[in-house]
Amino acid sequence: MSQLSRMFLGANSRDGLWTVPLIVALACCAGLAFSTAEFASSQNILNLIAQAAPLILVSIGQMIVILVRGLDLSVGSVVSLTTGILSLNVPVYVSVPAVMLAAVAIGLLNGISVTTFRVHPIIATLSMMGIVQGVTMFVRPSAGGTVPPEILALVSGRLFGIYMPVIWVIVAILVAWKVVHGSRFGLHLFAIGGGETAGTFGIAEQRNVLAAYVLSSCFAAVAGIFLAGRIVSGDPNIGTQYAVDSITAVALGGTQLAGGIGSLHGTVIGCALLAIIANGMNLLNVSAFIQTIVKGLILLAVISLQPRKTIGL
Amino acid sequence: MKRLSNLSRVALRIPPSYIVFAVLLVTLWVMRPNLIDVAILGTFARQVVPLGIVVLGQLLVISSRSIDLSAGGVILLVNYLISSGLLYDWPVCLIILLCLGVGLSVGLANGLLVGKRRASAVIVTLALNIILIGLVEYLANGKPPGDVPKYFRELYNLRFWSLPAPVIFWIALAGLMSAFLGRSVFGRFVWSIGSNPISAHFSGVPVERTVVLAHTICGLMSAVAALVQTSSIAVGSVRFGPELVMNSIAATILGGVVFGRPALVWGPFVGVLCFALLFVVMTTMGVQEPRKLIAQGLIILLAAIFYGVRSKSNS
Repeated sequence: MSQLSRMFLGANSRDGLWTVPLIVALACCAGLAFSTAEFASSQNILNLIAQAAPLILVSIGQMIVILVRGLDLSVGSVVSLTTGILSLNVPVYVSVPAVMLAAVAIGLLNGISVTTFRVHPIIATLSMMGIVQGVTMFVRPSAGGTVPPEILALVSGRLFGIYMPVIWVIVAILVAWKVVHGSRFGLHLFAIGGGETAGTFGIAEQRNVLAAYVLSSCFAAVAGIFLAGRIVSGDPNIGTQYAVDSITAVALGGTQLAGGIGSLHGTVIGCALLAIIANGMNLLNVSAFIQTIVKGLILLAVISLQPRKTIGL
Repeated sequence: MKRLSNLSRVALRIPPSYIVFAVLLVTLWVMRPNLIDVAILGTFARQVVPLGIVVLGQLLVISSRSIDLSAGGVILLVNYLISSGLLYDWPVCLIILLCLGVGLSVGLANGLLVGKRRASAVIVTLALNIILIGLVEYLANGKPPGDVPKYFRELYNLRFWSLPAPVIFWIALAGLMSAFLGRSVFGRFVWSIGSNPISAHFSGVPVERTVVLAHTICGLMSAVAALVQTSSIAVGSVRFGPELVMNSIAATILGGVVFGRPALVWGPFVGVLCFALLFVVMTTMGVQEPRKLIAQGLIILLAAIFYGVRSKSNS
């Protein structure tokens, strides 16, 4: 029985334990659809996707780093920095490349401190979070400014009759699927996360870990572009929650923080579950404070379900 | 050649916090010589006592390859318990005992989940932190809580030989922790888990129990820090904590305790003092908040790189 249930739960699989959050998410959906009329309305589902889109983008990057036994706490301040740069009243063809360059630079610095200088990922990205947050407050000391209309057009409206946030999510998932589950680079990520012996099999550990951190920063920057289009201004504190929320979503999706086990579909399910819970409790008029408590309890429950060998981080 | 490498090895064994502290002290002495005074510096040091006490717990968990991010939540809850007026007619000892009990139980919950369930410490302590913050905000319901009983404030403003009472309390607590880690079996267990958890396990060290105990002590320290913090601001607040946790990790690393390094009390102790001095130096230089954040991040990163390079040259 236990062998069968472990197989079904995916406890021995490289994809991690993603079936449990999927069942919970479906149960939540069913319950909410019965208890409130608004939940299943197309308007609400569209809202849900638009709310979840930036989290999905950040979490994909976070998952890539976690797969190689890393952690990126600086994603939140990268999101803030991006909205700050975009609201500086410069043309799009200057600000968007500037944003991506900044993201690549931050990712490279994170990666170099982790690989070359062997700083623990939590410490390296924590200090980078402080530095980037400081730079953000130089660029935009308080919320305000306006975002160029081109970016606004990218996140609102429709293309071929499909709403733009939906397109962003689909494109992000397709790109990430190719990177994580459909390329040699993705396979190497799993190998590096799986054990310390990947190097002896001819996998360039340093280069791949470096690329993982750069990808994480870039995904965070793309999430920042999306958010800037949604709020049509810059905000130095808008990204603060994304560091914790993305780790929560990734862990919910069955990706193990010890590295080497995880999946894109799990991460997307984790993000969806978080968004459904927040949305559902809003519809049911649950206090925002209770919502944070519930979020914490869910995180605790899911993390205690994951079997691990090592103690600690 | 060999002598030179020995010399550099000795230099590398000094925690970065000592060097940073000396540099900051000299800077302050050059810029504002009149600030170098026991009473004035004591007042500055008093501001970082809560941070210093959190660090005493944090260094324990960090050196046993774990981490505690829930100190902010514990501080918030203790602050709420004291200032909300719920326990207004309780005797002081009972209030303090209750607060310490809160810290102990949060620490124990952390420890059991990390040690026994083997869940990731980052996630567990983060989740407990979210739960505690949500709980306090729900109980307070958006309203700022009331005032803190007067005797807390009076205790906080006490001075002996021109040194503030909280600073003396902190030094005593650090001394106690140092003696405890240096002389007890538990201290050696933490040390051995820090250097290598697998060989510690095979040498008969009760790894799970040690991790649970380390987290429990860390939770207790958070509660003690919360008591000092609450008496320092004298009013209830629903907004503080996150930067304290980040600073406690930073000070611990600056003090030379990295994941899997032996727990030494005085390096992180000076690391906390560095933060007090850094604040003073930057304020006298007129540095704004953004630059403070950048400088703080750079200092942590450089200290960590320093240790990373060192561990590489050793292996």
